[in-house]
Amino acid sequence: MSDFQIECISLSKHYTSKNQTIIALDDINMGLNKNDTVLIKGRSGAGKTTFLNMMCGLIKPTNGKVYIDNDLINELPDESLSKLLAFKIGIIFQSFNLLPTYTVFENIEIALVPKMSDKSDIKEKIMLLLDQFNLKNKAQLLPSELSVGQQQKVAIIRTLAKEPSIIFADEPTGSVDDQTAKEILECLTNLKKKRQVTLVIATHGNIPDNFADKIFILDNGRLTS
Amino acid sequence: MNYLIKELRSHSGRTIASITGYGIAALFLLLVLSLTVTNEESSTQILKGTGTHFIAYVPSNISCCVSCDPESSNGSLFAEGVNTIMLTDDVVDSIKKIRGVRDASPYLLYKLYEPEFNGDVSLGGIEINSIATQNNVCAATNLISGKYISEKPDEVVAEESFASAHNLSVGDTLKIYGGKLLLAGIVNSGIKPGKADLYATIDNVRRILKDKLKCVSPGFDMNIVLVEVTDARMQNQVLLQLKEKMKYLSVSSYNCYQPANDVMKITEKTSLLLSVLIFFFLIIFSAKTQLTSLVERYREIGILKSLGWSNSKLTWQILDLSAIQALAGASIGVLIGFLIILLINGHNIRLFGLLEFRFQYTTALILLVLSLTGGLIAGIFPIIKLHRTKAGEMINNFM
Repeated sequence: MSDFQIECISLSKHYTSKNQTIIALDDINMGLNKNDTVLIKGRSGAGKTTFLNMMCGLIKPTNGKVYIDNDLINELPDESLSKLLAFKIGIIFQSFNLLPTYTVFENIEIALVPKMSDKSDIKEKIMLLLDQFNLKNKAQLLPSELSVGQQQKVAIIRTLAKEPSIIFADEPTGSVDDQTAKEILECLTNLKKKRQVTLVIATHGNIPDNFADKIFILDNGRLTS
Repeated sequence: MNYLIKELRSHSGRTIASITGYGIAALFLLLVLSLTVTNEESSTQILKGTGTHFIAYVPSNISCCVSCDPESSNGSLFAEGVNTIMLTDDVVDSIKKIRGVRDASPYLLYKLYEPEFNGDVSLGGIEINSIATQNNVCAATNLISGKYISEKPDEVVAEESFASAHNLSVGDTLKIYGGKLLLAGIVNSGIKPGKADLYATIDNVRRILKDKLKCVSPGFDMNIVLVEVTDARMQNQVLLQLKEKMKYLSVSSYNCYQPANDVMKITEKTSLLLSVLIFFFLIIFSAKTQLTSLVERYREIGILKSLGWSNSKLTWQILDLSAIQALAGASIGVLIGFLIILLINGHNIRLFGLLEFRFQYTTALILLVLSLTGGLIAGIFPIIKLHRTKAGEMINNFM
């Protein structure tokens, strides 16, 4: 039994392209405690997204293990992993990953479907969050009708609505203006104040170091603290 | 269910394309099958009546059931160029009982040397209403002049070739068989195994031959059995049973049943093959539609997986979407097909002037079931892919 909430052991990811093996991540070891706020910094293409995706079970590592609350997630059956993703893990994607044909409301709703069954509860929760982010009047719009910053906010709301105990955020402020970036960071800070949540943020450097408890640098596939 | 409807509505272009695809496929298949069924039925109907007859007799050199010598000095009972013996009525009854025999009828065929005609003149006594007689000897439809055989004594009809050879006309009186016979009509019966020069009812012929046959008595009044089977495909089976039961019988047919049988088998097998090909076409079409649909949805499915949607939930969603599109498309196709067939038949239009489009409810049902099956089978490939691929790969590979 480990004391860490998230633990990566000898984690590596290799790709084969045109008969060449590309090492995206190499022998990464990391342990994060509950309620930690962690920044994983690195330049573009350093492997931050791959690392985040492996930690939350979206892709399989070539070697190594990832434990979340002592569950070896890279060997979890699909149904157990789905439960983990539905209840415990929230992911904020770099490219938002909003469904283009679904409205703002529906894009948030789909994240709650595996977890909640009461439609009125779902609606109440979504409208409350949209209100907090000043997007209440955008509920029935399609993502394409929103600004990039608003789309990022919707992606964040979709994650927050699930009330996960771990949030993986991939460049949450990477494609927004300074003001929106500030709002997003404030929102994450407020979240930390309200309840216990472990926050793992990948960034190329536009988030101040004092935002985090721990900072790791990812360079050439290797992680240093 | 909300998400299924949402999914169908939000990708309305793809949904319409998919449903239209199923609709066109179902419509096309319905029309093809409605013609195939009619084609098979029509050709089978024609072919099953082809070569369904034969004659059975006992050559005179075989001793089995001869009760007397039927030959006179210048005349004899004969069949297919050989002299025959008399047969009893129970042979007809026995043949009638054989499975596949539609009708069996007695036939009395005699030939007598007539100096006035400078050769043998054959006289056949028939039961005119028997289908076996009509197909083996002659029928009222073969009449080309005068009137057909009647019960009137001393009235005969002649084959056209015989009448032409001897310059005979309807109404002529023939001094023949030791008496006078009136030529009531002329027939052209075509190529038949029991063909004669002259025909009369069997009772009249019995009367005419009374003095020539030494043993005319009830039960000894024919030398040939004319047989009609139910279906050309049964002919071989009936002949085998006949040979097994009455080894002494010789049979003669023109073997038309064999090519007819072969053609019917080809028609049946072609229909079966066509149906199988159609099924595979439907499956391949459905698989293509579903795979295209999944490839387009691949990233979306990856996102849903990353949000905690389980594989089983997504599997059901794929199957349900596939089934809804397949059923909706097939239903529309079948409905349009039904209306087209109704319109065509309403205007009495026949393909090539012969073939009728016939709507069959079973075909419609089969098409719906096949479309559904095709849709579900087609959904298997995307589902396998769904289960094998991690959410991250689904999202990243299709970004």
